[in-house]
Amino acid sequence: MADTITKPEVKKAEPWFGKKERQLISDPLNDNNPITVQVLGICSALAVTTLVYPSLVMAVAVIFVLVFSNLITSLLRTYIPNQVRMIVQLIIIATLVTVVELTLKAYSYDVYKKLSVFIGLIITNCIIMGRLEAFAMSNKPWKATLDGLGNGLGYGAILIAVALVRELFGKGTLMAGSGAEMKIIGASPDYMINTLESTLFGWYQPNNLMVLPAAALFIIGIFIWIHRSWNPKLVDIS
Amino acid sequence: MQHNTRYVVTFVLILTSVVALLLTFLNEAWKEKMETNEAIFNKKAILKAVATDVGFEVDDMGDEEVLSIFDNQVEQKVYDMDGIELTPEEVLSIRKYKGGQAEFIDMAKEKKLDEDVRLLPMFIFNGDNNKKYYIISVRGNGLWDEIWGNIALENDFTTIAGASFDHKGETPGLGAEIKDNPVFPASFKGKKIYNEAGAFTSVFVRKGGARDPLHEVDGISGATVTADGVSEMMARGIKYYEPIFAAAKNK
Amino acid sequence: MELFNIFIKAAFIENMVLAYFLGMCSYLAVSKTVKTAVGLGLAVIFVLGFTMPINWLISEYLLSETGLFGVDLTFLRLILFIAVIASMVQLVEMVIEKLSPSLYNSLGIFLPLITVNCAILGGSLFMVSREYNLGESVAFGLGGGFGWFLAIIAIAAIREKIKYSAVPPALRGLGMAFILTGLMGIAFMSLMGIDPDALTGVK
Repeated sequence: MADTITKPEVKKAEPWFGKKERQLISDPLNDNNPITVQVLGICSALAVTTLVYPSLVMAVAVIFVLVFSNLITSLLRTYIPNQVRMIVQLIIIATLVTVVELTLKAYSYDVYKKLSVFIGLIITNCIIMGRLEAFAMSNKPWKATLDGLGNGLGYGAILIAVALVRELFGKGTLMAGSGAEMKIIGASPDYMINTLESTLFGWYQPNNLMVLPAAALFIIGIFIWIHRSWNPKLVDIS
Repeated sequence: MQHNTRYVVTFVLILTSVVALLLTFLNEAWKEKMETNEAIFNKKAILKAVATDVGFEVDDMGDEEVLSIFDNQVEQKVYDMDGIELTPEEVLSIRKYKGGQAEFIDMAKEKKLDEDVRLLPMFIFNGDNNKKYYIISVRGNGLWDEIWGNIALENDFTTIAGASFDHKGETPGLGAEIKDNPVFPASFKGKKIYNEAGAFTSVFVRKGGARDPLHEVDGISGATVTADGVSEMMARGIKYYEPIFAAAKNK
Repeated sequence: MELFNIFIKAAFIENMVLAYFLGMCSYLAVSKTVKTAVGLGLAVIFVLGFTMPINWLISEYLLSETGLFGVDLTFLRLILFIAVIASMVQLVEMVIEKLSPSLYNSLGIFLPLITVNCAILGGSLFMVSREYNLGESVAFGLGGGFGWFLAIIAIAAIREKIKYSAVPPALRGLGMAFILTGLMGIAFMSLMGIDPDALTGVK
C-alpha cells in the first residue's frame, strides 16, 4: 500500500447500479445458481416443493431473511470476531426470523400460521449461512444486499419450477391450499383439495412418486442436465 | 479477524443483550394483539370440528362472528382424569389458565404432565333443534413435532360428527395434509369409536385404504409416520374421556 | 440391547439422508472423492454424537417447566439447539484446521455449513419429539451420524467409479449425484418396514 502513487485522494463515486452490481443479481439466476451450481438449500427444496403455494411462501421468506441478514452481517463484518463468527451469524439469522414471526403473529395471524411450519427450515437453510460466510463477511453492505437479493431470487426460481412439476404431475393441481387453487389434469382423485371437476386428460392418474422427496432429486438432477447443456461452461470436467 | 478473548466475550455479550432486549420488547409490546389472535384462531379450530355438520364456513368468518357464536352457542367444561367436572375456581387452583376456562387449557403443557393429573377440556356446541355436539381435544406426535385435533361427537358419545386437525411442522403436501386437505378430517365423519359390543375401538388411519368402514379411514400417501401419529393420538386421547362419556350415558 | 436397536434403526432403517433426505447440501457437494467424504462423515458423527446429549440436557434441565428456571422456555429451543451445534462445529473446525490443513481446504465452506446441516438439528428435534432418555439420545445421535457417514461414503464411491462411465457431459458430476441419491432413497424405502425388535428378539 505504501509504495502506491500517493495522489490526492479523489474518491471515485462507485455507481449504484454498475456492471458489477447488476452481475450480483444476474449471476445467481444462471451461472452461479444457489441450488444447481452452489448446491445450497437442498433440504428445504426437497421438503416444501410438493406444492407450489408453500414454495412461494418459502421463497419470499428466504429472500427477505437473506437480504437483511446479508446487510446486517456486512455492516458488522469488521467487528465480528473470527472465533465465534458462526454463532454470531446464526444469532443474526435466528433473530431476524423471530422478528418476522412476531410481526406476523401480531398483524397477520393466518400468514404466521402458514409460515411457522417453515421457521426451522429457514434458520437451517444453508443458502443463508452460506452467503453470509462466502460473501457478506468480506463485502460492502450495498453489494451484500444485492447478493442476497440475487441469490434469493435464484433459489426461489428453482424452488417454484420444481414445485410446478411435482404438483402438476403428483396431484394434478396448481396452487393447491391457496385461494387461487386450480385443478389442471386428471380425473378427481381421492386426495384432492377443493376438487374442481376437470376433464382435461381425465385418464391421467396422479403419480405418487412425484410426492416423494426422491422425485425432487430426480427433477433437480434433470434441471441441472438442461441447465448445463444450455450453458456448457458449467459442465463438470473433473 | 482474530481478537483477544476479552473482545470476543464483550462482543457476544453485547450482541446477545441487544437481541434479547429487542425480542423481549417486541414480545411485550404486541402481547395483547398476539393473544387475541391466538384465542380467535383456537376458537375457529374448535368450531371447525362441527363445521361440516352445521354448515359453517369457518375460514370466511370475521373475528366478531366467531366470538358471538362462541359466546352464545358453546358451553365450556373442564374435567379431571377421573371424569369429574371442575369449576373455573377449581381449575385455577390447579393450574393458572386464564379464567379457568377450557379454551385456555394449554394442551401442549398438559401432554407433558403425568397422565393422572391432566385436565381435559370439553366444548358443548348447541346446534339447531337442541342438537348437542361434544367437542374434545386430543394431542400427539407427528413426524417432526406435535400434532393435535378437535373431535366432535354426537350425543350418543360414539359417532364422530366431525374433526379438525393441526400440526406444528409436518411436511407440506405429505403430513400437512391432515390439516390442509379437507378430505382427511371429513373422512372421520360417521365413524364410530365403540364397536357394537360397546368396547372402545377408536378410529385408525389405515395405510393403503380403510378396510373397516366403521372404525378406519384412508391414510395419506407418503405420510405414514404422521398418519400413525393421528391413530395413536386418537386412541390415547379419546380414551382419557371415557369416564366422562360413561357418566353422561348413565344419566 | 434397547440402545443397540435405536442405533441400528437410526443408522439403517431411518437413515437421515436416504430415508428422510436430511443434510443433503453437504452430502451432495462434498461427495466427489471418498477421502473428503470420510473426513466430513467423521465430523458429522462427532457433532451429532456430542450435540445430542448436550441438547438433551438443555431441553430437560433448562427449558422444561420442571427445570432450573421453573418456567416453560420451549420457545427458546431452536435458538439454543442451534447455538450448541454452532459451537460444536466451530470446535471441530479448529481441530481439523490444526490436524489436517489439506482436508480443511478440500471441505471449504461446507465445514462451517455442518452447523446448518438439517440432519443435525433434525436429530435433536426428533430426539425431543420421541421423548428419548439420555442414553437413547446418545445412541440415536451416534446411529444417525453413522448412517450419514455410510451414505456419504456410498455415494462418493459410486461417483468415483461413475467418472469412467459414458454419462452425457451435462449430466456429469452433480446432476448424476442428484439422480443417484434419488434412486438410493427409493431403495432405502424398502427398509422402512423392518422392525428391529423382531430382529434381535427384544420385545
